[in-house]
Amino acid sequence: MNSSHLTTRAAREGSAPGSGKPVLEVEHLSTCFKTDQGVVTAIDDVSFELYAGETLGIVGESGSGKTVTSKSIMRLLSEHLSFQKEGSVVRFEGKNLVTATEDEMRNVRGARIAMIFQEPMTSLNPVFTIGWQLDEALKYHTKLNRAERKQRAIEMLELVEMPNAKRRFDEYPHQLSGGMRQRVMIAMALCCEPDILIADEPTTALDVTIQAQILRLMDELKSKLNTAIMLITHDLGVVAQTCDRVLVMYAGRVVESAPIAQLFDAPRHPYTKALLSSIPKSGRREHGKRLPTIEGLVPSLFHLPPGCRFAARCAYRDAHCDAVEPELTDAGPRREVRCHYPLEAPEAN
Amino acid sequence: MAKFMQQRGVKKLLKDRLAVVSMWVIGAYLLVALGVLVGNLFTEGGLKSETELRIGPDNVPGAWATQSAEARLRDATFYLDSIKKASRGSDPAAAYAALEWGSDRLPAWKPDRIESEIIEPADEISTALADHRELEGNVEALALLDRLEQVVRARIGASHDESGNAQRSAGQSFRMLLGTDRQGRSILVRAIYSTKVAVQIGVVSALISVLIGTILGAAAGYFGGVVDVIVVWLYSTFSSIPWIVLLMVLASAFRGGDWDGTLIPVYAAFCLSFWISPCRVVRGEVMKLKELEYVQAASAIGFGRARILFKHVIPNTAHLMFINFSLLFIGAIKAEVILSFLGLGVKNEPSWGVMINHAKAEVLNGFFWQIGTATVFMVILVLAFNTLSDALQDAFDPKHV
Amino acid sequence: MWTFILRRLLYNVPVYLGILALLMGALRVNDPISGKLGKNPDPSDYLALEQRYGLDQPFAVQYVKLLGDVVTLDFTDVESWTNDGLFVGEMLAESIVPSLAITVPALCLTSVLAISIAIISAFFRGRPVDKTLMVLAVVGMSVSFLVYVIFGQYWFAYLLGRGSGLSYFAIGGYESGLANWPYYCLLPVLISTFVAMGYDTRFYRAVMVEESGRDYITTAKAKGATKTKIMFVHMLKNAMIPIITRIMTTLPFLVMGSLLLEVYFNIPGMGRVLYKAIQEQDFPVVQTFVAIFAALFILSNILTDVLYALVDPRVRLS
Repeated sequence: MNSSHLTTRAAREGSAPGSGKPVLEVEHLSTCFKTDQGVVTAIDDVSFELYAGETLGIVGESGSGKTVTSKSIMRLLSEHLSFQKEGSVVRFEGKNLVTATEDEMRNVRGARIAMIFQEPMTSLNPVFTIGWQLDEALKYHTKLNRAERKQRAIEMLELVEMPNAKRRFDEYPHQLSGGMRQRVMIAMALCCEPDILIADEPTTALDVTIQAQILRLMDELKSKLNTAIMLITHDLGVVAQTCDRVLVMYAGRVVESAPIAQLFDAPRHPYTKALLSSIPKSGRREHGKRLPTIEGLVPSLFHLPPGCRFAARCAYRDAHCDAVEPELTDAGPRREVRCHYPLEAPEAN
Repeated sequence: MAKFMQQRGVKKLLKDRLAVVSMWVIGAYLLVALGVLVGNLFTEGGLKSETELRIGPDNVPGAWATQSAEARLRDATFYLDSIKKASRGSDPAAAYAALEWGSDRLPAWKPDRIESEIIEPADEISTALADHRELEGNVEALALLDRLEQVVRARIGASHDESGNAQRSAGQSFRMLLGTDRQGRSILVRAIYSTKVAVQIGVVSALISVLIGTILGAAAGYFGGVVDVIVVWLYSTFSSIPWIVLLMVLASAFRGGDWDGTLIPVYAAFCLSFWISPCRVVRGEVMKLKELEYVQAASAIGFGRARILFKHVIPNTAHLMFINFSLLFIGAIKAEVILSFLGLGVKNEPSWGVMINHAKAEVLNGFFWQIGTATVFMVILVLAFNTLSDALQDAFDPKHV
Repeated sequence: MWTFILRRLLYNVPVYLGILALLMGALRVNDPISGKLGKNPDPSDYLALEQRYGLDQPFAVQYVKLLGDVVTLDFTDVESWTNDGLFVGEMLAESIVPSLAITVPALCLTSVLAISIAIISAFFRGRPVDKTLMVLAVVGMSVSFLVYVIFGQYWFAYLLGRGSGLSYFAIGGYESGLANWPYYCLLPVLISTFVAMGYDTRFYRAVMVEESGRDYITTAKAKGATKTKIMFVHMLKNAMIPIITRIMTTLPFLVMGSLLLEVYFNIPGMGRVLYKAIQEQDFPVVQTFVAIFAALFILSNILTDVLYALVDPRVRLS
């Protein structure tokens, strides 16, 4: 499969960052929710590492557990409606965030790991000014005085290329457009220079042109501030433009992880392959041919099959797939795949 | 899509155990009310006459309560006095036969036997008892009291054995179960009868209000323009007068007219102030529905506007109608109590409001059973409706504040 | 801002005109003078009264007169029918203070308590504390106002301190002066607070719960804000919008809202004056009091809108 049009970012893969020690290690993270119909496991045994200066993409359909993963790391899920299974570890600076105290978590949130969200329209508090909301983060995590904080906030707004930063400081969120609000969110997330930025579908709600600007901005800031980014998205196009490495999730499980170029060139999991082939290919439309889609639905988390979770929709399935769930196994350098019959890696080209 | 949502709501509602229990409770009340209504039609003089019947002394507590010696003496004296009063007339035999407390009456004895077996010994004991100032803890006096009750009260019943001892009827025991009010009437009978009044007021006023509100609200939301302006003006106007004042003004406007003494002024007052909230909610919902695809599609196909409104839009506000109905039902029952207190509510019939209002003087003397009974009857019904409307809102409108 | 206020004022003018028409119409369904004189009055008496009170004039003239009275706040020429020589202006002046002496403290107390309980409940959402509070609220809501009044009076005014011969609360009545306030007014205030608690707590909790599910709360949490900061700064300021509306819509009821309490405790406030006027068919008093009340209601609606605009930056500009 040729996906060269998507691999602009991946072309830099050769000099990929991510050597050395990871900043964040997630091991066997499982998060369960208590619902009316019983306990449901939203993400099951998720493990990965994030290295400094790297952009890790987490891809999957809605309901695959991408957002739950990020919110579990930040511990933003309701404490009496959800819990992590025994043995879940989110190691950050030698500490397990899953068992950290609320005080310890507060010092991590915003200061060391920051987050931006999908809906810039509702993620900012409507009754406080932009300045107030930027100031709040600085107040919690720095020792700057009031004037210094204001100066820093304005600097940050300028850094995210906010026009008229000084004036915007005193404006309310409803006076800004969606793209500008997302810039404010980014400024807010980065103002304490965090080690990790988790971006949960940061561009989904934005226009395509604004989307490109925001992605470019994040990329620039990443190299400027040497922040590791965890980018959660369902859009493989976005992944292609920005990520170094990708984690593909399906029904609460990691099904494949790979460096970007390898994933696009040679997906090893049938689900990844199906995802890639459902992207429209610009410039080479095959007339009269329908864009392939993945038949069927993601299984309900309440009624998971005993075997492979993708089996019902998989073109390569057999009886073994229905009976036994595959393990996540190594499939080359820094590659893992969860499949009994991983697709063959094509000849090197 | 909308139908699907509705079904999901219904399913969710039926899964909510509290909601199901409250529906059963409401059903039971409706049955009781229906029973009273039917009974009223098919019994002579109606069950209503039963509520006015004197069944014994005043302020007798319920069957479970142990009465103080003073209260027992008072009750025995009440019966004795009525018997003595009958004996003083020109035709004691007829007067004795006419004595009735509910279904209780004296044994069918000749007047001289009643004189010698009841009145004379009872008088003797009463005189002896009068020497004792303190009854409580006074063994001698209590023995006398027991004998007095033996002589008087044990003779009173629906049927009698050969020696004239009473066999109290089931009906009378039932009537006395929760005691009597200030006029010796059965509290239980009145409370049960009041269920009919409450359900009647609740159903009629909530139903009419919801209908008026839904039609006006749907028309305003759907047609917009002048219709909307008029409806909004109308409800802004009505809601600028607090309901209690509106009720008072309306109730007094009806006073002296042909409908005075009926429930019609009460219905009218409730409907005129209650239609506002369903109207407001339905208008908002219809404005939202109007933009939905299937409604747009229906109008693109060329369905008439009225047809779309009644076939597609109004049915989709059904959940709002239910929620408002149950809220207004509660409102009506509670408002009835206040109107009755103000002397503008139910007349010529007992109702919980009338009972609570009557009871306010009794409370100072420590007689709680009337206010207690009326309150418990009312609280259970209102609580059931409150629970149900919460469940309805959860099931159909999870984002409701 | 001023144009905003002016616009709201103009918008409410037709509403008020409607209320007056409705009110005057309703009060004339049964001829007020026949009500006063009985079923078969002497025609000359009837005419004399009709002329004296201006009821012989066309509806429009009477309408303009009432509107003029309300606009100029001058009720000195409106004579009561049942209190000889008393004018509505005086009755209003005398009754307004006792009314406010009960309703203002009651509103403050209710709001503070209900909002606090709602915050506690929302803070412990889904846990036993919350569940218990909400069950209490629903049960409390299901009991009639009158029952609270009757038992409140019985326990606190009648039983409390009876053993030692002391009386902490009056059974009824009213004396002016701050020193007399606790004795006469505190009990009605407490009862009224207790009655309103159920509704208000549930409403405020729902508002809090709604706010707590908003995205900006997650943002604040991700920023490292403490739970208390989130509750009292982020959430409460947003929740202020519905809270203010709720409080403002009850403001006009301050004047007549405690009608039942005033009647029961014999407090000579506006509610009781109106009640008595309706009982005695004191037509001009009823008409004027309701007209004043509706005017207050509309003014407070406008005030709510203005306050809205002050709290919510989104309203200010639109």
